[in-house]
Amino acid sequence: MRSRRDILRMLPAAGFAAGVLPFGDCVAAHAADLRKRHKACILLWMQGGPSQFETFSPLEGHANGGGTRAIPTTVAGIRVAEHWPAVATVADRLAVIRSMTSKEGSHPRATFYMHTGYLPNPSARHPTLGSIVASELAGQRGGETGDLPPVVRIGGRGRGDSGAGLLGMQWDPYELRDPTRSPTNTAPQVSAERHLGRLDLMERLGSGFARSLPQEAADHSSLYRRATRMILSDDMRAFDVSREPEQVREEYGEGAFAAGCLLARRLVEHGVSFVEVVSNGWDTHQDNFARVADLAGQVDRPFAALVRDLERRGMLDDTLVIWMGEFGRTPQVNPRGGRDHFPRSFNAVLAGGGIAGGAVIGCTDQAGVEVVDRPVTVPDLFATFCASLGIDPAKENMASTGRPITLVDGGDPVAELLS
Amino acid sequence: MSFFVQDRRCLPAAVAAVWSIAGLTGLAAANSPAPPACDDATFLRRASLDLVGRQPTPEAVDAFLADRSPTKREDLIDDLLADPAWAATWGRYFRDVILYRRSDDRAIAMAPSLEAFFRERLQTGAAWDEIARDVITATGVPSEHGETAIIIAQMGETADIAAEISRVFTGVQIQCAQCHDHFTDRWKREQFHEFAAFFPRTAIRRGPGEGIDRFEVVSFDRDPRRGRGKRPDNPRRGDLEHEMPHIDDPSLPGTVMQPRFFIGGRGVPLGTPDRERRATAARLITSADNPWFARAIVNRIWTELVGDGFYDGIDDLGPDREARSPELLEQLCEEFVAADHDLPSLFRVVMATPAYQSAARSRADATRPVGEASCPQRLRADQLFTQVLAAIGVEERQAAGRAGGRRQVGVPRVIFNQTFGYDPGLPRDEISGSIPQALLLMNSQPLARAMDGDRRGMLLGRLLVELPDDRELADELHLRTLARHATPAEIAVCLDHVRESGDRAAAFEDIFWALVNSAEFIHRH
Repeated sequence: MRSRRDILRMLPAAGFAAGVLPFGDCVAAHAADLRKRHKACILLWMQGGPSQFETFSPLEGHANGGGTRAIPTTVAGIRVAEHWPAVATVADRLAVIRSMTSKEGSHPRATFYMHTGYLPNPSARHPTLGSIVASELAGQRGGETGDLPPVVRIGGRGRGDSGAGLLGMQWDPYELRDPTRSPTNTAPQVSAERHLGRLDLMERLGSGFARSLPQEAADHSSLYRRATRMILSDDMRAFDVSREPEQVREEYGEGAFAAGCLLARRLVEHGVSFVEVVSNGWDTHQDNFARVADLAGQVDRPFAALVRDLERRGMLDDTLVIWMGEFGRTPQVNPRGGRDHFPRSFNAVLAGGGIAGGAVIGCTDQAGVEVVDRPVTVPDLFATFCASLGIDPAKENMASTGRPITLVDGGDPVAELLS
Repeated sequence: MSFFVQDRRCLPAAVAAVWSIAGLTGLAAANSPAPPACDDATFLRRASLDLVGRQPTPEAVDAFLADRSPTKREDLIDDLLADPAWAATWGRYFRDVILYRRSDDRAIAMAPSLEAFFRERLQTGAAWDEIARDVITATGVPSEHGETAIIIAQMGETADIAAEISRVFTGVQIQCAQCHDHFTDRWKREQFHEFAAFFPRTAIRRGPGEGIDRFEVVSFDRDPRRGRGKRPDNPRRGDLEHEMPHIDDPSLPGTVMQPRFFIGGRGVPLGTPDRERRATAARLITSADNPWFARAIVNRIWTELVGDGFYDGIDDLGPDREARSPELLEQLCEEFVAADHDLPSLFRVVMATPAYQSAARSRADATRPVGEASCPQRLRADQLFTQVLAAIGVEERQAAGRAGGRRQVGVPRVIFNQTFGYDPGLPRDEISGSIPQALLLMNSQPLARAMDGDRRGMLLGRLLVELPDDRELADELHLRTLARHATPAEIAVCLDHVRESGDRAAAFEDIFWALVNSAEFIHRH
């Protein structure tokens, strides 16, 4: 009996990696090595705009702090909001940027901006960070991407989110709503050999259509081959977080976000380049304090566990972990006990990927309004991601209008964080 | 020369004349050979999917092919426009136009009433300006007043309502000027906020019911210090006038804006009650002085039908965007206005053009003039769902899925919408297939069961018995999935497969699978 991997090797090469590399033994042999040690990125995305004051930029001794207490961390001098006791224990691996600044205060536009590094622009389809990272990292290793989709987004709402844009659909995020359930429709309905025979039949019967509409037919075949390669792969077991030892699951804690973080680590281990794990509900216009306490309760433990787990497995140096949302929230507490949108100063946290830990970058004035030291713009932040992952931010892609678009729109990496 | 002729038999000639005015006849030849007209079966499937959201039955295919009438294409369009499914199909389309831009997910619950509003208005022959007026001036509980959808989808947020009304009804995306003067367009920040000033009194309050009817859209003209406010989580609730926020510091007081429309500059004074404000907004937007009202819908319908629009974005027009083939667009708009914004007339005209009736060509590059050829479109989720059911011979009421532990009719359509749905506002070259889409069609258990040749209750099981001739069965499967007969080459491929397989039922399961999973099946081409 042939293994699935053997059968997969029978799939014609053209469908894979857009024909960049034959899907041959040399790649398969290389794949084991690839799995062990490859660069990757995990984005913990706080949809809605997390309050900087109730997360990693507590404002002690000022009314704008809203009464949120700060607690010490493992790094002397770095304090975080009281809701983050677990993260406080890994502060020596974290770099907290407290001087993020932007001008974009609407959810969809700011979400796009913080995902692509560009403002939305109808004449250019800017790719999302995950697609940039996945395509560039694949380029670094000769086009090889592994069997699973190279970009996975867990827990997103599946709308309005940025995709691969001009990079092409093979780099689109694979959306997984619920990390605790196996991905829908992935259990093969017929034997692998019969499935591959059907694909072949589909292409033969589709040859007339392909003659008149070659692009549509080619995209379709490529998509079906990628989907087939995925469901027939041994790597599918990565999606099953219940295979993880009880002790590890315990460390990550309960809830969908925790399961998402654990799944992210498993996916990276199985060759996925970029995983985004979404936590929803950070748009706290009212009742900010209780709501953030609750949300932080869902994120704190898995965030810390992820950093520790990656480190234990020797993956942290190659895996950049990002915690951020689309903007921060107003220093002034509104009459509903909420905080409104505030892009002028907010925060983000980085770990792993060669980023220096135990660091704080920048600060605001005492009222938490203005960045007074070391402002970091969104392009600066994206340039830092690139530096961490060994990606050239000045690399150009061509928009459909023929205008070259750099991966990052200018910006300088935060050099202090890069060793 | 008018497109909107009374006697539709004159339509082809009228279109041809305008075509030559717009300089389109010679134009294709100059660049490359013009694509030939599509064949009858392609036209039938295309028009059926476009107008009534479903493919033709095998019987309808043969009847249309056999029809010798020279006006059979025009007759078909008339029949399809008179079918109640036309209004239902486009009701679902406008549901997507509005709800894909929702800022609050709770608005999904008003999808049924939103669909029903458009369906009923289209069914009763409402003109596009009447529909626009209904939406712009809407009040009431969402489950009964689908026209409140934009306001509910934006949860009463003044600036977002203004942005969406502008996008949907004028195609001008002026919201980019909300925070700063527009980078590439002429719009100033003031102009956006003057337009938003038509809507500060359009409010959502606690409605009388449950679910989506926990909300109700009302006019709010009372003193905010005495009444309930605009939205529960807005600290500046109950503002009767719209303020443009301070550009440097949103915590400082803003500037009170007088309602004014950015096209033509007319408006109403401060203090005007909500009903009058919005009625004025509706009048100004739909007025003949605003060319963008007609351009937006003409471009939208053209883009959906021909597959390639006058503008890069279906809803991103405006004076600073360059239209391709502007003469043709202007001609269509003039006639549309002269026909009192009648939508069926617009459909008739677009579908009579050589562009619509041409053989499909791979998505044209942006330098090609509009009107050269029809471009393939991926089926919208509702079209695909209906088509899958028809292909496997299952009625929607028989197709049930699980929701909340119970089997429920309607669930499979929702699953299709979640998996295959796309925002009609996205550029078409950005709408690509996803792995979950491929997996649903190629590897889902319910579909595999429905296509099982050993189940006598299912279509294939029945056909395997009814059609002992392999050739006939292969052709029948083509008819049911692709709404056309198989070519001799395709028959040969099928016969080979049956021979090699040695298991007739299994071989035809494979063929059925290959057809339902083909690129041709998921495209309207």
